[in-house]
Amino acid sequence: MSAQAKVVPIAGRRRSKRPEEPAGEAALSRRVKELEAQLSDVQRSKPGESLLVALARALSAGAGGMTWTNLARLQRAFYFAWHSEQTDEFGADARFAEALEPFLEFLYAMWWRVEATGTEHVPASGPGLVVANHSGVLPYDGLMLQLAIRHEHPARRLCRMLALDMFALLPVLAPLLSKSGSLRASPENAERLLRQGELLGVFPEGVKGVGKRFRERYKLARFGRGGFVRVALRTGAPIIPCAIVGAEEIHPVIGKADWLGRPFGLPYFPLTPTFPWLGPLGIVPLPTKWSIDFGEPVDLSEYGPEGAEDPILVNRISESVRASLQRMVDGRLARRRSVWFG
Amino acid sequence: MARIAITGTASFLGSRLLRRLVAARGADAVLAVDITPPPTTLQGVSHRMVDLTLPGADRRLVDVFREEAVDTVVHAAFFTTPRRDSAYAHELESIGTLHLAAGAAAAGVRHLLLRSFTAVYGARGQNPSFLTEERKPDADSRLAWVRDKVEAEAHAFSFSRRYPGLGVSVLRFAALLGPGVHTFYTRLLGRRVVTVPLGYDPLVQLLHPDDALDAIMLALEKGPSGVINVVPRATITLLTALHLSDKLVMPVPHPAAYPLADLWWASGVGEAPGGFLDYARFACVADGAKASAELGFAARHSSREALESYLAYRFPEAA
Repeated sequence: MSAQAKVVPIAGRRRSKRPEEPAGEAALSRRVKELEAQLSDVQRSKPGESLLVALARALSAGAGGMTWTNLARLQRAFYFAWHSEQTDEFGADARFAEALEPFLEFLYAMWWRVEATGTEHVPASGPGLVVANHSGVLPYDGLMLQLAIRHEHPARRLCRMLALDMFALLPVLAPLLSKSGSLRASPENAERLLRQGELLGVFPEGVKGVGKRFRERYKLARFGRGGFVRVALRTGAPIIPCAIVGAEEIHPVIGKADWLGRPFGLPYFPLTPTFPWLGPLGIVPLPTKWSIDFGEPVDLSEYGPEGAEDPILVNRISESVRASLQRMVDGRLARRRSVWFG
Repeated sequence: MARIAITGTASFLGSRLLRRLVAARGADAVLAVDITPPPTTLQGVSHRMVDLTLPGADRRLVDVFREEAVDTVVHAAFFTTPRRDSAYAHELESIGTLHLAAGAAAAGVRHLLLRSFTAVYGARGQNPSFLTEERKPDADSRLAWVRDKVEAEAHAFSFSRRYPGLGVSVLRFAALLGPGVHTFYTRLLGRRVVTVPLGYDPLVQLLHPDDALDAIMLALEKGPSGVINVVPRATITLLTALHLSDKLVMPVPHPAAYPLADLWWASGVGEAPGGFLDYARFACVADGAKASAELGFAARHSSREALESYLAYRFPEAA
């Protein structure tokens, strides 16, 4: 409704201009397009407006105005204040990412003071497969990796993360991840995205990495069955190793009570110094100092797509990527003096 | 003259297809096979009453197809809305398709086109973002509704393997939504409050019925083409769809929602058994690339347009 109301004055202005510019039919239509783009920018920059309007209307109506329709309108305004009406084909939502960004930025810059190096190794365009070590119980490392590329890389690319099955099953977390650009980790998804020239982030350690105990920290777990290598070989995408240091200490897993998690569909149930003893406070991650280092890209194009059918080659590449990632992590750990200050 | 037989002409899609085929090829080119006659406004359409659930239906179908010179059969007798008497649904969908495929193979029918659902892939957290036709349908689903459809498809393909003269197309349609659609999920849209599982917002595909009919017409021209997904242009998230329809959304934690929905269904109040909650938790989005490559099909409506056309039809006063 409001879109129409705002379009009218612009059309009016356009009509009054017409005698001065008789020749430029094309220029005019271009100008209209510009104005429309500006208009939609203005509308997008005020996502909360309709929510405030709806709230004000509900409040001014008082208790008598609390009808089903008004409640539904209020709920709708609340939903669209932080969701766009159309996601992209994989479910990523631009406005949701925008709404989530201040919180993630706070974690990135203030809480964990992330230091990102080597972002120049991430390709500015075309496909790329970022392979990182997984840790931290909850998938914060993926969100921070995404933000590092978004903020520190000149092309400001969206790195889509491939998330574990268990995160795609959990309530609240599942839509949060998919709307911020993650997908379920499956070879079909990875291949489709790389063929479309997208940047992809994977954690080949999977659940063995994210839930490892504190005493096993920074020892990379087995790299799945080399699925990420097969996809990279098939699509010719370069592999960019990425070492994340600091995420292992945010939720130190001192014990596991897996029998507690099973009824909820969780593959593990971590016990940390704070969780579950402190209740909701226990899910606050510890403010360690993080570093995210991107390494030299590994180009696999010499092997060609047929290399994906050779399990020995796939295993060898997978193991060499794991070893170089372990070296990067060890190197960073050797230089680190404090868990909290880097 | 070779004719097209349509089963389930009393169903939503079957009746629309009947009208469209009569308009395109004339009343002589079609034959309605159903237990209820087609509407009297469609003059000149021949109708043969066959109950697919009865033993011996296949022999009767052979006679019908031979007498009426049928060379193509469109099988649209499927339930979109789950039925409480699941035994009848099983007889009609699974056994009925068995009878139909047997009759069609024996009568020398060239092309059997099955109407199916993308929901047969099953909604799971493990699904890839796009389900292609190679993906195996969910034969072990907890929903009898899904299992019957999967069995029906399997019967058709097994007859096609044994009788190579019979070609099979299975069009898996996304959930239909548009003017005239009346199913269990549109009944939910008729309520003021809609309960959803807490903390989930999956992508859904809503297909406009006109696009579904276009796809069937293209598949009839092209001939047997195996399994094909028919999907709209774009997806929409479940909560976006509900909020655009101005529903009050009430989230319920899913461990409680399943037994409650089952209880509701068993007591005769609910619209669907609890297993359907999977589709409100996880995405079941099918890939439409094969339809555009092999049939030249391009959906004209997006999911959102399908939803809006339904809302304009159902709630004209709100527009």
